[in-house]
Amino acid sequence: MANRTDPLAKNIRGTNPQNLVEKIVRTKIYQHTFWKEQCFGLTAETLVDKAMELDHLGGTFGGNRKPTPFLCLILKMLQIQPEKEIVVEFIKNDDYKYVRILGAFYLRLTGTDVDVYRYLEPLYNDYRKVRQKLSDGRFSLTHVDEVIEELLNKDYSCDIAMPRLKKRWTLEQNGLLEPRKSVLEDDFEEEEEKEENEGIADKSEDEKDHHRKSPERERERDSDRRRDSHRHRDRDYDRDYDMDRDYDRERGRGRERDRERDRDHYRERDRDRERGRDRERDRRDRARRRSRSRSRDRKRNETDDVRDRDEPKKKKEKKMREDGTDHPDPEIAEQNRLRASLGMKPLKM
Amino acid sequence: MIEVVLNDRLGKKVRVKCNEDETIGDLKKLVAAQTGTRAENIRIQKWYNIYKDHITLKDYEIHDGMGLELYYN
Repeated sequence: MANRTDPLAKNIRGTNPQNLVEKIVRTKIYQHTFWKEQCFGLTAETLVDKAMELDHLGGTFGGNRKPTPFLCLILKMLQIQPEKEIVVEFIKNDDYKYVRILGAFYLRLTGTDVDVYRYLEPLYNDYRKVRQKLSDGRFSLTHVDEVIEELLNKDYSCDIAMPRLKKRWTLEQNGLLEPRKSVLEDDFEEEEEKEENEGIADKSEDEKDHHRKSPERERERDSDRRRDSHRHRDRDYDRDYDMDRDYDRERGRGRERDRERDRDHYRERDRDRERGRDRERDRRDRARRRSRSRSRDRKRNETDDVRDRDEPKKKKEKKMREDGTDHPDPEIAEQNRLRASLGMKPLKM
Repeated sequence: MIEVVLNDRLGKKVRVKCNEDETIGDLKKLVAAQTGTRAENIRIQKWYNIYKDHITLKDYEIHDGMGLELYYN
């Protein structure tokens, strides 16, 4: 009786709201003493009191996966399904940060995409420290904005799989959201001006870092890239007329490319010179292989030089690659590729 | 390189190739990649001995072809 969802509750994502939490984790919560003692007969008001007593967040921990009180309260909220106004109140309140995170988490699970972005993004400005319980039982330090970032970007948090969230970009395109405006925008603009005045220093660093920067810098990043793209394009133009490269990449002839890549051992030598960007590597290969007749004199000379230097090396470069992904046995090679992607060493034969 | 068989008795039987000096945690990652569950949700046991993440297969004396039990957390 205590574990049934409120009969008046709506279906979330087409199912009983409690099903957002996986069966095994749910069972663990039902059997936990915190749930049985404290979460019995909670209403929205009494839930607030319990939430104020929280002092850490987390999912399950320990060998037998005990749930944290935070997780129990999340399930309770899913069970009683408070009104949206109440959840927004949770998020807006400033005094209790764990109540805030609780509300934010609940909204991420049950709210629409627009609501999620609208209410969670202001929380990026909250820099307070929070305590997080890891899965091995230890505590770790994190911050409210880090938690929010995890909620918005990852698809798994606190042992609950997050529902799919549309990308912000899509919502902006459809006009449902304004482009993100950060509180630090003014500071960034000042910094940009300073950078421009000093000359364009480290633009490449800027681009490499882009996955770490917050979304509102996308606009600036795009304009940077657009500004610099003509420079890159001229370089391409000199190397070869490579519309084919884009065609291949987009039409997904990846397998073919991989095979060709495996064959081209001499390419390894050029890795240092190339800065390890696959696209450029492929471009060079294709240039070497294909464009000998098409390329201009300067290009031909360059190719010949490189080829001559590579010939004596070719015999030596037949040896295997370090991560074993070009093992003759395709099964082993595939296993090694998987291992490399997981960050493990290759199989020892 | 050894090959270990993991069976969850509910339909999932997985053969995983791994090195002897790898830990159970690595084995769980490989199993997760093959079955599609998350590595944190997997529990590997042999009867009532739950295998710990930080110990190597060699120390658990897991040999080639040995069968392990697959459970979920």
